[in-house]
Amino acid sequence: MIEAAGLTVELGAGQAVREASFVIAPGDRIGIVGESGCGKTMLGLALMGMVPDAGRVSGSLTVDGTQMVGAGEATWQRLRARRVAMIFQEPMAALNPIKRVGETVMEPMMVHLGLGRDAARARALELFREVGIPDPEARLRQFPHEISGGQRQRVLIALALACDPGVLIADEPTTALDANVALRVTQLLVGLAERRTMGLVFISHDLAAVARATERVMVMYGGDIVERGATGEVLVRPRHPYTQGLLSARPSPGNMRATAGRRGRLPTIPGSVPPLAELAPGCRFSGRCPVELDVCRGERPPLRGTMICHRAEEGA
Amino acid sequence: MGYFLFRRTISFVLTLLAVSVVVFAVMNILPGDPALSILGLDATEDALAALREELGLNEPVLSRYLAWIAGAVQGDFGISQSFRVPVSELIAERLPLTVSLAISGMVVTVILAVALGVAAAANHGKAGDWGIMFLSQLGIAVPAFWLSILLVLLFAVKLRWLPPGGFPGWSEPAAAVRSLILPTVALALVQSAVLARVTRSSALEVMRLDYIRTARAMGFSRRRVLWRHVLPNALIPIVTIVGLQFAALVTGTIVIENVFYLPGLGRLIFQSIANRDLPTVQALVMLFAAIVVTANFIVDLLYLAIDPRLKARS
Amino acid sequence: MTRLPPNLIIGAVLVALVAGTAALSLVWTPHDHTLLNIRGKFAPPSELHWLGTDQLGRDVFSQLMVAARNSVAVALISVCLGGVIGVALGLLASAMGGVVEDVIMRIADIGFAFPALLFAIMLAAVFGPSLMVAIIAIAFINIPVFARVTRASANQIWTREYVYAARAAGMGRVTISRDHVLPNIAAPIIVQATIEFAIAILAEAALSYLGLGAQPPAPSWGRMLSEAQTLMYLAPQLAIYPGLCIVTAVLGFSLLGDGLRDITDPRLVRQR
Repeated sequence: MIEAAGLTVELGAGQAVREASFVIAPGDRIGIVGESGCGKTMLGLALMGMVPDAGRVSGSLTVDGTQMVGAGEATWQRLRARRVAMIFQEPMAALNPIKRVGETVMEPMMVHLGLGRDAARARALELFREVGIPDPEARLRQFPHEISGGQRQRVLIALALACDPGVLIADEPTTALDANVALRVTQLLVGLAERRTMGLVFISHDLAAVARATERVMVMYGGDIVERGATGEVLVRPRHPYTQGLLSARPSPGNMRATAGRRGRLPTIPGSVPPLAELAPGCRFSGRCPVELDVCRGERPPLRGTMICHRAEEGA
Repeated sequence: MGYFLFRRTISFVLTLLAVSVVVFAVMNILPGDPALSILGLDATEDALAALREELGLNEPVLSRYLAWIAGAVQGDFGISQSFRVPVSELIAERLPLTVSLAISGMVVTVILAVALGVAAAANHGKAGDWGIMFLSQLGIAVPAFWLSILLVLLFAVKLRWLPPGGFPGWSEPAAAVRSLILPTVALALVQSAVLARVTRSSALEVMRLDYIRTARAMGFSRRRVLWRHVLPNALIPIVTIVGLQFAALVTGTIVIENVFYLPGLGRLIFQSIANRDLPTVQALVMLFAAIVVTANFIVDLLYLAIDPRLKARS
Repeated sequence: MTRLPPNLIIGAVLVALVAGTAALSLVWTPHDHTLLNIRGKFAPPSELHWLGTDQLGRDVFSQLMVAARNSVAVALISVCLGGVIGVALGLLASAMGGVVEDVIMRIADIGFAFPALLFAIMLAAVFGPSLMVAIIAIAFINIPVFARVTRASANQIWTREYVYAARAAGMGRVTISRDHVLPNIAAPIIVQATIEFAIAILAEAALSYLGLGAQPPAPSWGRMLSEAQTLMYLAPQLAIYPGLCIVTAVLGFSLLGDGLRDITDPRLVRQR
């Protein structure tokens, strides 16, 4: 169980995550969406206590009741893998190239759970089966470069599950994979979260994957969680201007048809995510927002219901 | 993998042959008349003729080269001109000392360099890092023989803890080891300066990679991540430098043996130069060059052992 | 250009110190460095003899100055000699490609099997030890080093647009190598030369220490150390000064080389 309240991550240039508050209970499946550079990964790293050395974390973050803001590296080490585990975007780069994948998956069980080699190997084999790796016996002895991207991501998932964590953070787990493989990895993660009543944080800019994988979603922009709610609700009836922009920029049968006749391109959000140091002090989205007000730039919008936006009352 | 081994072995043998040609040419063709070089300008014509006969100098160059190589392969390097015994005997007598010095020097070098390099990388940008890098920059500029002299001044002349030089022979193991301590340290300190830098930059490179983040995300201690995940990967480029350094280290033993009056191959070379004992010098130079070439060959084989990706590719 | 890296500045200062001393010794030293004064041997540092005198009563400071000149001269001659041949071979290899390139680079590989010391040993055994032996040995080991650097840099230049243009305009390989390739690879070659200079000074000192380089009475830091070693119990200070000189010179050139590389190699984004 993870509870964040006013969680802020400050990097040298500015706030990468600004006053994020949320709860992840066992079995919850939560998506975090947004463009690159919006603080999604930084938020994930903050939940692991792995913010870069130059970063400063403030606010409150409790994991199973223990306050982790200000906790030392040693405290975090006891939590990682056993309470919170994380998998990363690039499955090729995320595995130690000179270790057999079996050894890699066995290591945390031997270090954290005190299992012997044989017990760890048996558990690794079980995990490989659970994550759907074919011919798991043979896979255990292979090196990362000998197996495909999808298999590697499954190995990483098995690794993350090795110490039976309460929450799994998956940072862009499907981005580097083929569409087909991505779909199956997404289904695998959902199945695992349900079977193990494990919390799942699914970070992605792939809205379709998030829609499939999660029950609730948080939309991030410029370090703010600008909108949140039930996944079906937010992704079908977005209320925040940024979420609306994000959704309309997505190719769908609807807008493809709409643009095809007009020789137009897909609608996009004008501009791009500015660097941290150049974010407006008020609403982060000001400057790119199509329905901006005078107050937006200078004044931070308050949280109203499920989103932070100066136009929240109008139901923008 | 088999193909890689085959190609590497062929090129190793060819390099050895080429090296032998160079050594033979410099020692036999360059001087014009080796007999004259050995005996000097005031030698009598009879003496010269006798020596030419003994060294087989009346044979054509090619057959002399082939005879030398054929002998060398069987461990026969001819007769030493000054000691009047087979060169192979001289070598066998002195080899253990030189090999002990080279190996102990290499071991201490690697341990020291890896420890310092990893420590510097782990404290990247902090005082410890700067301190280690400063020392290593200094170490690169310090000649081994001067460092040896300083060590002797401190530990032999001033503190009298260790002997200033000489070697009592292996029959007194304790004294023998004591007399090798300063030479080993002198050799290793200088060599590890270079290697520590390579280790540091290699470790820093690896530390930024994704799989190190994975290891940290698995809750492993910093120490475990450093030694079990960073170091084995960082070792891959280090191995190349160790191979190259072994060459420097082997020639380093020649210098160090002369500083500490150790009766090894390095001493023997200088005695032979002084005695104009060309066959012995030729054999020893070939031996040292062969060690250098072999070290580089072994490095390539080590790559196969360390990096499983290479096995797949080749 | 942003601020100069500190290693460049420190290196340049040390190099200027060594080179300045070497140049100054041509016209002035506090004493004649060969002047013997047996009664004044092992004199401590004084106003007359800044660093005292040696076992023959010669002024140590003057000897160190002249030794600096010899050291720099040996390094200069041998690095230039090896550099010119090595660069020429590297350019040739790169310009011709194919078999010529393979053969040249294989020969360069073989050169790496001979450290300077082994080569000097062979030459000294054949011709007797002399300063010339040291110079040739150091020059020789520089050839493959420069050939490799030159070829690697030149190969990149040969794929540039302006070289294609020059070839299309009918320029010959020699002309292109001279007019287009060489000027564009000057930076890495100069960097290498600076670093090789440091190595050459170290090698000269070691060879002279072993008696394979400068012969008496020519002063040399290495030989001064080998003489001082036999007098360690009588005058340990004599074993200190020449070593400090070597370290200063080598440190200067290697820092300067590192610094030059830092500012000339755009690919090196320093991760400090």
